[in-house]
Amino acid sequence: MKTYSVLPIQFTLNGEKTMVYVGAHETALHVIRERLSLKGTKEGCGMGECGACTIMVDGKSVNACLMAAPQLDGRKVMTVEGLGNEENLHPLQEALLDHHGVQCGFCTPGLLMSAQALIEGTPRPTHQQVVESISGNLCRCTGYQQIVTGIENVAKKGAGEA
Amino acid sequence: MKTNDAIGKSIPRIGAIERLLGKALFSADMELDHAMVLKVLPSDRDHARIVKVDTTDAVRVAGVVRIFTAEDIPGENITGIINKDRPLLAENKVRSRGDAVALVAAENTRFAEEALNKIRVTYEDLPSVHDPEEALKPDAPKVHEKGNLLFTRKIKKGNPGKTFEQCAVVVEKTYETSFLEHSYLEPDAGAGYVAPDGQLVIMASTQNPHYDHSEVVSLLGVPEDRVRIIQAATGGGFGSKLDLNVQGFIGLALYHLKRPVACVFTREESFRMTAKRHPLKMTLKTGADKNGRLMAMTARMICDTGAYASYGLAVASRAPVHATGPYEMDHVDVEALCVYTNNPFAGAMRGFGVPQAAFAHESQMDLLAKALHMGPLEIRKRNALKSGSQTATRQLLQESVGIQECLQAVEPHYEKALKDWVPLESDPSKQRGVGVGAMWYGIGNTGVRNPSTAHMEMDPEGALTLYTGCADIGQGSTTVLTQIAAQVLGVSPENLQTVVGDTAQTSNAGATSASRQTYISGNAVKDAAQKLADMLLTEGVDLLKCPKTDMVLTGGYVVDEKDTERRVSFSKIAARAVKRGIPLRWQGYFDPPTVPLDPETGEGAPYAAYAYACHVALVTVDVLTGEVTVNKVIAAHDVGRAIHPESVAGQIGGGVAMGVGFAVMEEYDPSTTESMKDYHIPTCSDMPEIVPIIVESPEPTGPFGAKGVGEPALIPTAPAIINGITNAIGKRIYHLPANLERVLEASIQSGKFSLKEVA
Amino acid sequence: MTETTYARPETLDEALLFLKHHGADTRPLAGGTDVMVDLRSGKLKTSYLLDISRLPELQGIALWEEGLSIGAGVTISEIYASPLVREHAPSMLKACAFFGSPQIRNVATIGGNVGNASPSADTAPSLLVHETKAVLAGFSGERTVGVEDLFDGPYQSGIGPDELILRFMLAPARGRFSDFQKIGRRKALAISRMSMAILAEQAKDETFRFIRLALGSATPTPMRMRTVESFLMGKRPDRKTLKEGARLMAEEMVRITGRRPSTVYKEKAVQGLFLRMLYPLLENGAV
Repeated sequence: MKTYSVLPIQFTLNGEKTMVYVGAHETALHVIRERLSLKGTKEGCGMGECGACTIMVDGKSVNACLMAAPQLDGRKVMTVEGLGNEENLHPLQEALLDHHGVQCGFCTPGLLMSAQALIEGTPRPTHQQVVESISGNLCRCTGYQQIVTGIENVAKKGAGEA
Repeated sequence: MKTNDAIGKSIPRIGAIERLLGKALFSADMELDHAMVLKVLPSDRDHARIVKVDTTDAVRVAGVVRIFTAEDIPGENITGIINKDRPLLAENKVRSRGDAVALVAAENTRFAEEALNKIRVTYEDLPSVHDPEEALKPDAPKVHEKGNLLFTRKIKKGNPGKTFEQCAVVVEKTYETSFLEHSYLEPDAGAGYVAPDGQLVIMASTQNPHYDHSEVVSLLGVPEDRVRIIQAATGGGFGSKLDLNVQGFIGLALYHLKRPVACVFTREESFRMTAKRHPLKMTLKTGADKNGRLMAMTARMICDTGAYASYGLAVASRAPVHATGPYEMDHVDVEALCVYTNNPFAGAMRGFGVPQAAFAHESQMDLLAKALHMGPLEIRKRNALKSGSQTATRQLLQESVGIQECLQAVEPHYEKALKDWVPLESDPSKQRGVGVGAMWYGIGNTGVRNPSTAHMEMDPEGALTLYTGCADIGQGSTTVLTQIAAQVLGVSPENLQTVVGDTAQTSNAGATSASRQTYISGNAVKDAAQKLADMLLTEGVDLLKCPKTDMVLTGGYVVDEKDTERRVSFSKIAARAVKRGIPLRWQGYFDPPTVPLDPETGEGAPYAAYAYACHVALVTVDVLTGEVTVNKVIAAHDVGRAIHPESVAGQIGGGVAMGVGFAVMEEYDPSTTESMKDYHIPTCSDMPEIVPIIVESPEPTGPFGAKGVGEPALIPTAPAIINGITNAIGKRIYHLPANLERVLEASIQSGKFSLKEVA
Repeated sequence: MTETTYARPETLDEALLFLKHHGADTRPLAGGTDVMVDLRSGKLKTSYLLDISRLPELQGIALWEEGLSIGAGVTISEIYASPLVREHAPSMLKACAFFGSPQIRNVATIGGNVGNASPSADTAPSLLVHETKAVLAGFSGERTVGVEDLFDGPYQSGIGPDELILRFMLAPARGRFSDFQKIGRRKALAISRMSMAILAEQAKDETFRFIRLALGSATPTPMRMRTVESFLMGKRPDRKTLKEGARLMAEEMVRITGRRPSTVYKEKAVQGLFLRMLYPLLENGAV
């Protein structure tokens, strides 16, 4: 069995097939930010205690700072850049904008990914489930209430359209 | 007549979309060509003389470009936002484990860290002191040459000593708080490069770019225009990004190496090397008459400012100035000492000593109420400051004293909670309690000049740009200032461009601190906008042949109110002005009228405006384990005028979160706290339901009546929670945080440590 | 400085063969929530990271005759969502509900939690009351070890350098009273200050005829409190018995740990937690 200090991995990133060389225990966060130049995902603590680096891997929210990049191989990965853009904000982005859930903005990308993972997996979340879904995303600015309201609104709308 | 189109509207926040898309450029996101990485070597001693810094092995590490020590600093190796006592790099001694000793510049982080490990520093340990009361003793180790007592603030009015004799009840207690960490989500960071003309350009996460500029210029000994500071998107600050964190290191590296450079702290470095909240030890003695009227108070407060002063003076001034709480009191004697120790340095943190003082004065109020068999709101209403009251510094409060309104606003919630919520606890290990906490908070720096400037420009086509040095660190100042300018000029805020926090383009707005920016920069912006408005109206007189009083500004036009078809556009006026050589720039200024405090009596007018608030906290205590749940907080805030109500609600939300942390879970222990794994701020699961109530008691000197809310948001929360815990278990906690250990101990002492008999 | 390299076996046999040769210099990597933190801090230095996160042999939750089998590679989220765990080991469900954060639960594995051997391992108390056996595999064969015996000391696991945990075999709850509770400094992203699990059954006269109690985050390794179990057997859970049981919990805990700075709190909190956990039994029966 081969062992690698550096190895090529292939995965789907925001819908696009991506190939990149990564170090043996280089973090997914480092690869995303430094090798793929996607700066939306943030480093808040580097040790899984704040959630600022949250991305989605195969539909689940994970801390990119705790994931060894080689483990992204073959996965479907989404970062905040894959949610929406200037012309087309994702409903969660619209909701946080409308409900004033953004202050300094540093926790925002990670929060959006946790919320997206929730909505994808649990189309009709209870209030408690919404709170729990972002319990691993620290925010020091907002007190979370406007964020929770925003996510709940998206969930309600989604359920209404279903 | 102008309609209030922009004020009081919660318009979409400027900058929110970039942040939602992950496109806002924080310092660590900047990609500079071949940027070097900077890493700081911190002291590993609490107090020691530096004998030698040996970099011989370290410089030989491949990829290391240079290692700097104090001798490489070309200008003055001293910084400090109030007292200049902190070197950028240690000269001959270190005073704490956060002191920077050397700076490594390398091609990447790995090389830089390797080099850090190879720097050998020879220290000669000195005795260290970690308790401020010990530090005040004559034989204590001297942290700084001039001695450990940095500053004393005295507030003296009347004769409390004698008055106590006439009081029906006197309560004397000692209250203590701990070091706290700001724990903003973005660790301190910056990046820089040298512009083609040789200017050193530094982008940084900061709360005061213009102050950063003055420090870097002084450190490097260069002319002012050699340095440019641009505030990058800043991920929170809460007071810690007021001191120089990375800017000086970046400037030093740029000066010598002339190559792009980045300096991004890890969370551990941020914890270790940046400011903390001052621990305060406060002994308060308060007396009241049999009707609950406060008569006298004495207090002695000791602030541990750690190894460097930073904002120590401000904290040691604010705490005593606010020590009475928002209540009338004729006899006051408060003394606060600000003391150096070899602990990590304490600086500004949201509230500057008032969160600590409020914990004390609000506990005293509940103790007095209990002794007099009065309700907690009753005693507060009886003593609340009002228009015409005189404060402990003998300042006469004129208008916008909304404390009574705040107390009245929360009262129905308080009553309901007591009646309908408390008795309903059915869990045998839980006790419920409701607590009240009130506060007042002066807006702006204490008794000193702290002006703000701003300017507006109009381009030849009539497009408007607002220039402000006011750093928006997430609180939403850019949006609020835009709304103010837009209101004055009758335009929609979307039609105003803003340039923010760039020393090459903006002028000094003072620091984003002391809850001062809406009030002070708001007025400066309003001043600039009004000057522009006046020019537009003056031109309108000429062009429309109409008196000023008959014209309004609306939608980019000067309009004759009597015949709205008669109008002239800003663009036409601009074109005309260009032809006539009129400069299209208007400077605004505001400095709140304050009177410095007398050094012996504290007499003066420390602030031109005060915010007031009251929180009611519903808490549940698990008497068997010491766990506290804060279920709900009703927060009434007199903000004068809410220019952007949802931003006010957002500040209240964040303030309550910080208050919950301050009350029950946050504690920075200099010897053990290293990172977020050891330091707990509230998660979403820890948050109460928050009911914000905006009270508007317009401040005549404020822009459209506005005051401030940034720090007030957090100040009443912990007092309300502590009072709630006391009511739940019948025992009071005098030392924050009321963590598991303290609450369980209180539960045991109160006899509550058992399973309730449940019907 | 040894550079760390990465390897990903496709099958268990491949993994075990690798460990046979390089086990002493290898650290298995599953969810990474402990390994990556320790690599970053320098606490862990290893030549090889063996990525076992996708080994099919470590997956799956199933009810077998011998008991409830949970693969070592099953994530905390998967355990929390499992109807089999809900039915046969509900205290484990509770332990997983507040483990770390959602992001951590999505990748952390039960094998990793046990293998890390933290005194605060959140899955441990529940595993202990289910008398769980860990099935370990090495190149030369398998062996079965009680989970309690896999904790040699704080962060010292009894797993051999050439071994992997395959799965855990839990004795099912059989409808017994069961619970897991923890005390933390906040409600998420919190290391347990103390945790406890219980599995109990009462006879018709309400006396305990089956009781298993385990304590976490209070002793150097998670452990069954057998002295207290013996005391409670055959007794009715009335207030007097519970109070004495609580006192014995504290006494036993202090006997093991000695008096440390945290003992002032834990000595009381362990009693409080015990009373809180057993209260539902008090309510149902005696007063």
